Amino acid sequence: MLGRLGRWIDERAHLSELWQSQMVDYKVPKNLTFPYAFGIMALVAFAIQVISGIFLTMYYQPDVNKAFDSVNYTIMKEVPFMWLIRQVHAAGANFFLAVVYLHIFTGIYYNAYKKPRELTWIVGWLIYFVLLTTALTGYLLPWGQLSYWGMVVTAEIPTSIDSAPIIGKLKIGETISLWMKGGYEIGQITLGRFFGLHIWLLPLILLLLVGIHLYLVRAAGISNPEGREIDKKKEGVPFHPYITLKEGAYVMGYLAVFFFFVFFHMSHFLPADNYDPADPFKTPAHIAPEWYLLAYYTIFRSIPDKFLGFVAFNLSLLFLLLLPFLDFSPLKSARNRPLFFVMFVVLVISSMALTVLGTMPPTPTNAILGLLFTGGLFAFFLSLPLISIIEWGWYKARGGEKR
Amino acid sequence: METSRRDLMGLAIGGLGVIGALGVLYPIVKTLAPSAASLAGALVEVDVNSIPEGQVRVVSWKGKPVFVVKLPQGLQWGGKAKEEKNSKLLQGQNAFALVAVCTHLGCVPLWKPQGEAEFNYPVFHCPCHGGFYSPWGDVVAGPPPRALHIPPQAIRDGKLLIGEPGFIKELT
Amino acid sequence: MIKTVFFTAISLIFFYIIWINNFFAHKEKYEMPAQYARIAEDVKSYAREGKQLFEQNCQACHSVRYDSVYISAVQANPKLKTLQEKYGKVLPKDVYEGVFNEDLMALKESFGKVPPDLSTIYLVKGKEYLFNFTLEPQKVLPGTSMPAVMTGRPEETAKIVAYLKSVSEPTPEEKSKRVLMGIGTIAYLVVMGILIWLWKGKILKRMGLH
Repeated sequence: MLGRLGRWIDERAHLSELWQSQMVDYKVPKNLTFPYAFGIMALVAFAIQVISGIFLTMYYQPDVNKAFDSVNYTIMKEVPFMWLIRQVHAAGANFFLAVVYLHIFTGIYYNAYKKPRELTWIVGWLIYFVLLTTALTGYLLPWGQLSYWGMVVTAEIPTSIDSAPIIGKLKIGETISLWMKGGYEIGQITLGRFFGLHIWLLPLILLLLVGIHLYLVRAAGISNPEGREIDKKKEGVPFHPYITLKEGAYVMGYLAVFFFFVFFHMSHFLPADNYDPADPFKTPAHIAPEWYLLAYYTIFRSIPDKFLGFVAFNLSLLFLLLLPFLDFSPLKSARNRPLFFVMFVVLVISSMALTVLGTMPPTPTNAILGLLFTGGLFAFFLSLPLISIIEWGWYKARGGEKR
Repeated sequence: METSRRDLMGLAIGGLGVIGALGVLYPIVKTLAPSAASLAGALVEVDVNSIPEGQVRVVSWKGKPVFVVKLPQGLQWGGKAKEEKNSKLLQGQNAFALVAVCTHLGCVPLWKPQGEAEFNYPVFHCPCHGGFYSPWGDVVAGPPPRALHIPPQAIRDGKLLIGEPGFIKELT
Repeated sequence: MIKTVFFTAISLIFFYIIWINNFFAHKEKYEMPAQYARIAEDVKSYAREGKQLFEQNCQACHSVRYDSVYISAVQANPKLKTLQEKYGKVLPKDVYEGVFNEDLMALKESFGKVPPDLSTIYLVKGKEYLFNFTLEPQKVLPGTSMPAVMTGRPEETAKIVAYLKSVSEPTPEEKSKRVLMGIGTIAYLVVMGILIWLWKGKILKRMGLH
């Protein structure tokens, strides 16, 4: 009966053909390593955020007088199982960003941004940027002390432009800051627009970008750990069941770790200070951005000049976007590029150290360390053209051979 | 041998997958269940002495409208109900509460102390589809399938406590 | 191989530091004698008594809205009852602060600010801080307008902390239910992961792709 119904639908919708052509006949390299699973994990994390978020909007009230109670009383105590959905959403946001970071670093390591995949990389960067905005807007919604003061500080960052020598006179920064807040203070207008952005505009943009990203992955073909393009007919393995089952198992492992945090370790994702309702007259003792922004934050505060700090952290974002053009070497994948590998290690250590430094108090020693690791981060990006030139030399010396 | 083992594993994965899907659905469906606060037995206190005889007051109990009926002492009611269910339960009480929701399609009946249409004695009249109830909530005429529901209630110190089991133990 | 180990290890250490235990970050630590810590932990035995103590010692200034406990002046106000009939036992914050503005402003007059509502304070401060602060406010936070009401009564203070914990946290039964749910979920995912992995091996062997 069910089989007949299935056939009836299939004769009309041709779903099995779609499945065959897109999942089975789609061939991928056999040697994809574990880090390639971060992409699918990010997709799963996105789905979790959308589903849990939809249920949260049913009880959350974007009103400065009610927001805190609707989160901490209605959602956490009154409605059955909403505590679980909130914890999933809060931990999910952190896991989403963590997996996206791991995905980015994997992409850098295997040089997945190089021709013909530059556009995939650029769209990926846009996803990352929109994701950060989504996280930032969502962080305000519980209307706790950290939500409020985190946003106060964030909204001040653009004013750094105003301390620039000449353009500072134009007060561009202040204008941006006012436009972010919708007024001189963070209040009902800010909360309302952040709510709208967080639940509608930004997720829809994300959905669109993720769709384009996935299409581009298919269009340009998946990269290879060995850094060479495969002959799909000879070496490729079918996406289903080879990759689906392998990465399906990885996803189960990922979810197990995720739910460990959801059920047993929420203290980082729902920090204690945010159980205190927002109070515009009292700043909490320790105020720092969430961990996924800390590296930029450390760059910003380690540089003694406010404007230069602003330029530096924006530059690091820009360099990330321009990676495919900074690195024009003919060689691909860190496996084949010893110089690149060394600089990649410098990048990893620097960005991790910058993040950890962000959690520490801004002592002079930490400021010097911050400068040092900022140097490390920029050294990676700036060394890429140099490495590329050297590698062109090797490539030519070997007679244009790729390996 | 090889195939049957594989099939067993496939079956196990399929079965576990179904369990997992149900496990995800369970909390999500549960969030739609009534919240703790709305389930907590709401108790409404009505001072019966403040209601004039022959009058009805509407109060809210568990989000539903409830009639508090105060009948004149020794009322001789001229009508005849189809079934004497409520009047037996409420025998001897001249102040009591009825759930003010017509058992036909959920409208709130109107109290007609002077009667309505051919019924020239006190009745509840539902304006939606013309149901008639006796002052105790028994059906007199019209489409309602059963008598009005009676909430649990008790009388203490001249106060009617709706929601507390007393002369009516539970919702009929 | 070495590379895999290196990158795995460095990522694990990184996430351990930022998500679980950041030994670089500065943390304030408060001590609490073990016998009082036990009382403050034991919601089942002491929360009820703690609530009475709270009503006697703290309610003059502090509300616990999530438990529908309001400051004494409000509790004595007949308006409270009608409002609760309309809005439910836990009044919306704006209704509460709007209607009883005068009572709250009277407290502000005496203390310089409206004493905070304590519905979630246990989650913010933790039992050690609450215990020490309530016992000797000036010692923990010099200059605070909180009077030393409980000084010299550590056991009663611990019971009040137990009450605040009972308001902020799920009940012990609910907590053990959540633990079970967590273990079940994780066990399910691990079993499912292993099964899929094994199945993959089987299928690939059959397809000759191994």
